[in-house]
Amino acid sequence: MHNVVQLHPQALLEQRRNEQTSAIGMMVALGSWGMMFAALFFMYLGLRAHTLAWPPPGLPALPIALPSLNTVVIGCSSVALVRALRSMREGQRRPASLWMLATFVLGLAFVGLQTLLWWTTWQQGLTPSTGTLGTVFYSLTVLHALHVAAGLAVLAYLLGMTLGGRSMAERVTTLRLCGMFWHFVGGVWAFMFVGMFLL
Amino acid sequence: MNIGFTMMNHLKKRLTSLLVTLVALTSATFANAAPVPATGWGLPRDVSVDGHKIDWLINATTFFITILFVIMCIWMAAAVVKHGKDHQAEYDHGDSGHHVAFAMAISAVIFLVVDGNLWFNSTIDVNTTFWNYTEAEKHPEAVRIEINAHQWAWDARYAGPDGKFNTADDIVTLNDIRVPVGVPILFQLASTDVIHSFSLPNLRIKQDAMPGMINRMWTTAKETGEFDIACTQHCGTHHYKMKGLLTILKMDEYKSWSDKMSRIHARGYDPKDQAAKWGWAWKKADTNDDGISVEGKPKSAALAPERSQSVSLAPEARN
Amino acid sequence: MQGVMTPADIEAAQHLQHIHETPKSFVKHYVFSIDHKYIAKQFLWAGLLFLFFGGMLAMLIRWQWAYPGEAVPVVGNLLFPDTQGAITPPTYNTIFTTHGLIMIFFAITPIMIGCFGNFCIPLMIGARDMAFPWLNLLSFWIFALSQALVLASFCVELGSAAAGWTTYPPLASQVGTPGLGQSLMVLALFVTGVSTIMGAINYITTVIRFRAPGMTWFRMPGTVWGLWLTSILNALFVPVLGSAGLMLLFDRHFGTQFFLTGAAGGTGDPILFQHLFWIFGHPEVYILILPIWGFVIDFMSFFARKPAYWFRGSIYAMITVTVLSAVVYGHHMFVTGMSPLLGQAFMLLTLVISVPAEILFLNWLHTIWKGSIRLTVPMLFGLGTIFVFGLGGLTGIYLGTISTDLYLHDTMFVVGHFHLTMASAAFLGSFGALYLWFPKMYGRLMNPFLGKVHFWFSTVGLTLVFGFQMLAGYAGQQRRLYDPFQYSYLEGLQDLNRFTTYCAFALAIGQLAFVYNFFYSLFAGKRASQNPWELGTIEWTDCASPPVHHNFDRIPVVYRGPHEYNHPEVLEKLGRDWIGQTEEFDPAADAATSDEVAATA
Repeated sequence: MHNVVQLHPQALLEQRRNEQTSAIGMMVALGSWGMMFAALFFMYLGLRAHTLAWPPPGLPALPIALPSLNTVVIGCSSVALVRALRSMREGQRRPASLWMLATFVLGLAFVGLQTLLWWTTWQQGLTPSTGTLGTVFYSLTVLHALHVAAGLAVLAYLLGMTLGGRSMAERVTTLRLCGMFWHFVGGVWAFMFVGMFLL
Repeated sequence: MNIGFTMMNHLKKRLTSLLVTLVALTSATFANAAPVPATGWGLPRDVSVDGHKIDWLINATTFFITILFVIMCIWMAAAVVKHGKDHQAEYDHGDSGHHVAFAMAISAVIFLVVDGNLWFNSTIDVNTTFWNYTEAEKHPEAVRIEINAHQWAWDARYAGPDGKFNTADDIVTLNDIRVPVGVPILFQLASTDVIHSFSLPNLRIKQDAMPGMINRMWTTAKETGEFDIACTQHCGTHHYKMKGLLTILKMDEYKSWSDKMSRIHARGYDPKDQAAKWGWAWKKADTNDDGISVEGKPKSAALAPERSQSVSLAPEARN
Repeated sequence: MQGVMTPADIEAAQHLQHIHETPKSFVKHYVFSIDHKYIAKQFLWAGLLFLFFGGMLAMLIRWQWAYPGEAVPVVGNLLFPDTQGAITPPTYNTIFTTHGLIMIFFAITPIMIGCFGNFCIPLMIGARDMAFPWLNLLSFWIFALSQALVLASFCVELGSAAAGWTTYPPLASQVGTPGLGQSLMVLALFVTGVSTIMGAINYITTVIRFRAPGMTWFRMPGTVWGLWLTSILNALFVPVLGSAGLMLLFDRHFGTQFFLTGAAGGTGDPILFQHLFWIFGHPEVYILILPIWGFVIDFMSFFARKPAYWFRGSIYAMITVTVLSAVVYGHHMFVTGMSPLLGQAFMLLTLVISVPAEILFLNWLHTIWKGSIRLTVPMLFGLGTIFVFGLGGLTGIYLGTISTDLYLHDTMFVVGHFHLTMASAAFLGSFGALYLWFPKMYGRLMNPFLGKVHFWFSTVGLTLVFGFQMLAGYAGQQRRLYDPFQYSYLEGLQDLNRFTTYCAFALAIGQLAFVYNFFYSLFAGKRASQNPWELGTIEWTDCASPPVHHNFDRIPVVYRGPHEYNHPEVLEKLGRDWIGQTEEFDPAADAATSDEVAATA
């Protein structure tokens, strides 16, 4: 294990402090984001509370198998990202790249499976205009998938940088922030999975 | 609980008579029969049995906050005049124990007197009167009216002699609500299109009419006359024209009017006309309070769709 | 960073923030600047422009209430050529809707939070810039985009938004308010929300991380506290509005049915929008007042030349209000058919807010009592703020109480009340702040006489206009009426409404004193010294007017709180009634104070 961080101790301290500052900023941002999703959940619960039978009569129940699989996929991608960050901190370029690639592929798989999910439900006649079920199902899952896609874009950028041989020490902060965002998005999915598909 | 409220009510009445003499505030000078144009600035003439509770609370609070506001202004003015440029400022952070205790004590007193008075009276009034539908429903002669609001008018429906809504003897009127004096009048409100708010300023009460919900409101009139019904929620282009007429009649006048109207409506009743049956089964006072019917879907979704479409939500209205 | 500072701590602080090079290119300096001071000025100009816009809309509303349906004088034919200068009901709906939205989101917010948040926070806590300068740049340009969307909404067919600033569906749905204008406005709200949240992230993080050595929490000026607490509310509750707006847009354009029911077709629930709107909306009124409270705490102390009275109590009061603001929103919905139990809970919580508010008022009044008051322009605006906020705050308790709200709800009383608090107080407070910090921003002094003229017109004007509106509401006049005198019980209010309108016109004319003063001083005002007001906060003691690009060559070390005026020892030894936060005076005493502060912080 070779230590690539050959920065001056003072510079190292500065970098660590900057990383902490960025992490605090990200936490505030995620708090904000969380409130946005909380409002969507509030809406979902409010609409559902107004309807005694859920799914509303005449509408298909939401599938459970695909979302379960997706929960596993996004969970694994979070684990992979944790490993990627650890490798990057330790300055190991190859494992870092591999773990990031794994995260990226799993994230892509998640979006793919979500698309399959939408296709399935659409085939069953559920569209955004079919009552409150269609409304909340498509709105929440699409908004969430857009967040996953945004995370994927950042991951792709970082992966390119790392594979391109750029200094990893400079990217640790970005990857850490990306990771925070990624785990947050995964957490939102967990809420959605339990709230919308399981219950 | 009820005994408690009765006692508090009694106490309040005594306080009222005491304070009314203290509160010398704007009182409206109105012509006897509205909607004869009103003059003057004060509260509109109160023709409800319970409206004085609201008026009293408003005026008592005005009395208190006027005192507070005047003290504040005098304090500021005195400081500016007395402790101007030439005054040597006192170096004081004001965080010693007795300073803090003083500030807390003053705040507590203001809170207990002003806010306490509001909270205490409002809690009693709301529970014993304004939102106490159970008591109003018990009255044997209570009048029940269903209001369906739409852009930009009020449909009213009376159950007629059979006491059931959506039957042949229902009285249905437009922007014209007639009620007897002295008995509880219970309203249930819904809306076809957007949110409206059914307001009776001379009876000091209002309630939103929401699509997808049945809301309730009740009041008792103490005087006869004609009064405005107002919409207080922005509901589109002609919101300002969404005006109705409330006619408060003597009981015998009301009875003869309703008997006559009921007969007329029964003659013109067409059982096949679904659009005319926009009413709903009267929501009981002891059912849930959030306007959700037991069928599990919002009530006014059941309002006839034909009617909904005929309602002018048309784009051209907004040129 | 608290308590006794070792030289190592102070040294470390110097390296935490880099000194950015002063940009050389025009674009980097004046357009896409990452300098917080320049971004503050950008927000100021953008906000003032829309303040003018929103103010003109207000004048049109006032005209309509005085002379319903009659041709608007002077500008009528220009604005409404089709009707020979008269306002039609649909146009009127657009005017009052956009007046509210523009004033709140595109005028007050950028001036108060965008401008003074950006300008004051780093300077007053001793930082070289915001924590994330690039995010700051983005925040402004996203805000500019949202303003462009607002302007665009006026240019599309059927005009801009018309469903009221509260945008309640189903009226705000495609069926109730067709046309692209409403959608563009909701989108603009979403976009400006993104900008606000970016700003909030920056402010919150900067205050947590970039306070100068020795700048403990309770040595921060009230201004910074107010802006910081506001940022927390912004970060938490603006996303709720964003979410509601997004769902509304989905309903309008993607066929979903969140809020659609009845004639609009669907099984959604419009009342949930009201919940979401007011979960945001009630904190929003505190978002617009917390910075003002902060300004007032400081101004009273600065110009009464006396320490802020029970400063800590004021801060605790502000924190309490921040927390309570999240749990009182239900009082906006007393007449929507709310369950009585919930209604009563909201009533009690709402009334409890008056306790911290009373503490704040008492502290302001005690601060000026036994002071040595200098009636400078910012001080006058500060006193004016207390006056209008006192009036507005006290009249709020009627509306937080169920039974009185049953009568007053949705009347002009509500309009008068909230204009006195979140409009008048925010207006006067922000202008006071502008008069105070103008010399630091532009390096020139403003004319105090014109400032006083502006003050008297504004304070008297605002009090009369909104005081009379409350009177009209007390007499039962509903808000948002194209022609109030359709109702017979309101016909007696014609004179009152006309007189209110004249007051409003006078208020508008009085603003010319500011416009002239602002532009004149900008280009030809007297050069300001570093500390023209003789204040002790860092931006005056350690920065030139205007400050250099990186604010501080060396990050200053803070020894005391922001309100040390007329300290007997300072008076005796230095012969002046103030001492800077960063001034070394008596090392032993300074160290002792810092220990004490650290122990309690």
